[in-house]
Amino acid sequence: MALSQIIKQPTMKLLEEKFLALSIQSCSAIQSRNKQVAPQPRLRNPTWLTKKNRVIHDDFLTADNAQFVQEVIKDRYDVPPKVELPKNTVEWTPKLKRTGVIARKIGELPLWLKTGKKISTTLLQVLDNHVIKYFTPEEYDPPRKRPTRIKNKAGCLLLGAEATDPTYLTKEYCMLFKNSGVIPKKHLARFFISPDAALPPGTPITAQHFSVGNYVDVRGLTKYRGFQGVMKRHGFKGMPASHGVTKTHRRGGNIGGGGEKGRVWPGTKMPGHMGNRYRFAKGLKIWRINTKLNVLWVSGIAVPGATNSLVYIYDTNLPRRKPSNPLAFPTYFGLGDAVAEEDIYEESLHRFSDPTIVFQKE
Amino acid sequence: MLVSTIRHFKAVNYHARILRTFSSQIKGQSSRSDTSKSLSELRNVYVEFLPDPTVEFRNPIREKLERLDMLARRGQIDIPEFYVGSILAVTASDPHSLGKTNRFVGICIKREGCGLRAKFILRNVIDHQGVEVLYEMYDPALQKVEVLRLEKRLDDKLLYLRDALPEYSTFDPDMEIEVLPEGSRVPVNPLKVILKPKPWLERWERQNLRGVQEFEISERDKRRADKVATPWLKYDLMKNYMNTIPEEEQNEIFSEIHEQLQQLELTRKKLKRKRSFVKPFKLG
Amino acid sequence: MNQADISHLVSRLKIQVNPRLRKFRNPEGPLGRLKKLRKTVTALFKHERIELNYPRAEEARMYAERLISDAIRYGDCHKTTMETADFWIEEKQLIHKLFKVLVPRYEHSQTSYTRMYRAPRPYPGPMHKKAVLELRGNPYPPLLPDFVSNRNLIHNVLLDEAKKEYRSQKYAEIAAKIESAEKGALQIENTASEKSSIEQNASVSEQKP
Repeated sequence: MALSQIIKQPTMKLLEEKFLALSIQSCSAIQSRNKQVAPQPRLRNPTWLTKKNRVIHDDFLTADNAQFVQEVIKDRYDVPPKVELPKNTVEWTPKLKRTGVIARKIGELPLWLKTGKKISTTLLQVLDNHVIKYFTPEEYDPPRKRPTRIKNKAGCLLLGAEATDPTYLTKEYCMLFKNSGVIPKKHLARFFISPDAALPPGTPITAQHFSVGNYVDVRGLTKYRGFQGVMKRHGFKGMPASHGVTKTHRRGGNIGGGGEKGRVWPGTKMPGHMGNRYRFAKGLKIWRINTKLNVLWVSGIAVPGATNSLVYIYDTNLPRRKPSNPLAFPTYFGLGDAVAEEDIYEESLHRFSDPTIVFQKE
Repeated sequence: MLVSTIRHFKAVNYHARILRTFSSQIKGQSSRSDTSKSLSELRNVYVEFLPDPTVEFRNPIREKLERLDMLARRGQIDIPEFYVGSILAVTASDPHSLGKTNRFVGICIKREGCGLRAKFILRNVIDHQGVEVLYEMYDPALQKVEVLRLEKRLDDKLLYLRDALPEYSTFDPDMEIEVLPEGSRVPVNPLKVILKPKPWLERWERQNLRGVQEFEISERDKRRADKVATPWLKYDLMKNYMNTIPEEEQNEIFSEIHEQLQQLELTRKKLKRKRSFVKPFKLG
Repeated sequence: MNQADISHLVSRLKIQVNPRLRKFRNPEGPLGRLKKLRKTVTALFKHERIELNYPRAEEARMYAERLISDAIRYGDCHKTTMETADFWIEEKQLIHKLFKVLVPRYEHSQTSYTRMYRAPRPYPGPMHKKAVLELRGNPYPPLLPDFVSNRNLIHNVLLDEAKKEYRSQKYAEIAAKIESAEKGALQIENTASEKSSIEQNASVSEQKP
């Protein structure tokens, strides 16, 4: 008020107009210079990717005290967390997506069919999976938002596997497990699921999550082979060993034409780093399940990764290998009175305790 | 006359049968398989129960499951003790002639693999033609494995029989079972084989073979063999350590399956007795 | 896959074994590698504590352990063991030390026969990792100070107090549980006896008419 009293009203208006013009001009100038409205999203790690292992140094604990620490841990985590089963469970339909599991590749073994044919299988041991947390689609923040992408409709389930001694872990990492009541786990993995397939924290997931005869996709970290030539990396044939060939026995040969295309085309197969990448082996059939040790026998020996390495098992997304019978949805709870068999076999599989195969006329 | 000859023939046949059953009964009683085998014996007889010593491939759970499957299969088929150099007869169901079986007699020239992948190769010369068959020990199509002659040779592999004179790998397909007296050790056959002249399938002069008679080799071959020889390999203690399973671990494995193996051997004994009993028939 | 070799039995080593042996590239090939390592093994048996580069120490440690374990297992009358010892020990008087001093020392040992420490490396200087390799039970003073039995460190004092409190609480809870269980049992007994007495009465009353 004081200002307006001092300055005469017409001059005041003039000033205001001038300011307005200035401001609009400046705004429009910025907009024209920077066409992108939303800034580039910042790369952020998921909340559970914290520092896991603490720095180990000699604490000089007396033997008594070290024992006491272990006793407290045991008292706290010996009792499995009480889990309320999800109430409004839905029947499984092919469009619903269940959670996967964390497993370990433990080796390869042959099995025989009833026809006498020998098949090779890979053994995957489902570890002590527990649900740590569920993020609803709205709640789950993908690490890098893409503004152009369609809105995310899948929830995210965080699973942990392989219980470990929490004294080796950081406090921050241990706090991730606080609400689930589960003992801190060595490995965490996220699985995108339909919201109907959500599971409460603390739910254990076993090998019976899958059933025999169905197909799965297995994801694992392939063995690192370092810098490799073309023959090993891409399966090239190489050059002849003799007949005047000099210095080009294992080389790739020509890498392109001349003229208009006289350059190395992107994606040309050349020597380079091999392995140490996450890869899928898709559409593997489950032949047999051991429910006691939580082991799956899965077809083929091409599961990525070394023996004793971690793999992640998902229901297959190959359209022709979708299961025909309803799956255990959202997971297998073992509610029925019937105790599951220790070994569940596929129908066409020969059991080792069955009598010798005799090939009969049909 | 005719009737009497037939009767006579029948009687002879009958006596022969009785004799055979009697001898087989004796065999059943004097079988070498002692029910309570010590751990050291077990590791010789059931080598394939020891896992692959390669560290990268080992996993205790897989090995346990594998052993369970092996025991389950052994409950169905009697796989006797045998070594490289023993003569076996293997009966297997034949996928190419349905409903029928195929019996092959031959000398075991190689045993390889462990667990469910255990295999062995039999060799025989049939119609002047060397024949080798690779059998998988836990293949469910195997119906019967008989040991006709239980013995060892001087070498761990007898692959050099391929380059030896054919009489060393010729065996009668109708061979009778030779029985060892109870409690005796497995005999080692000190036979030295004569090799055919070169060309050979492998460079036998480089392999330190004990079961082969001395042969002449050229000065050049000898020099080359000396060049690639690795006499220091026996001093590489860690390499030897990684080729084997430590004794403590072996004992753990065999004490775990000891009982089941014993049970299997008991049932095998019972079955043998049962098989040896033949119902007497009336004389015509 | 491969079959385990059972012709020569070995004892399990009490140290972690590196499945990928180092090559120690050498003009003499693998034999040269063994010759290199046996110098270290001989020095270890002679001096009982040596400081050297880390890779060589780790590799030589495994061979020294194997040699001692074979010596314990087979003794000095076993031909193969004696030959191996002869190969691995360059100063021959140390063979006597192996069989007459080290074998009795480690015969009943539950842990490894050797110890390895990471040694500090000189700065500025070469960047190689250094290690100290020693036989257990050597006559030298220990390399690490013994703090393990020190109760007066602050965290040990605090943990001691926490332990007392935690245990007293735990035992009190257990005692309360037992008491309540006993009470419950008593009650059940009482009710049961009442019931039985009632039943008896009922049966008596039934019998009466």
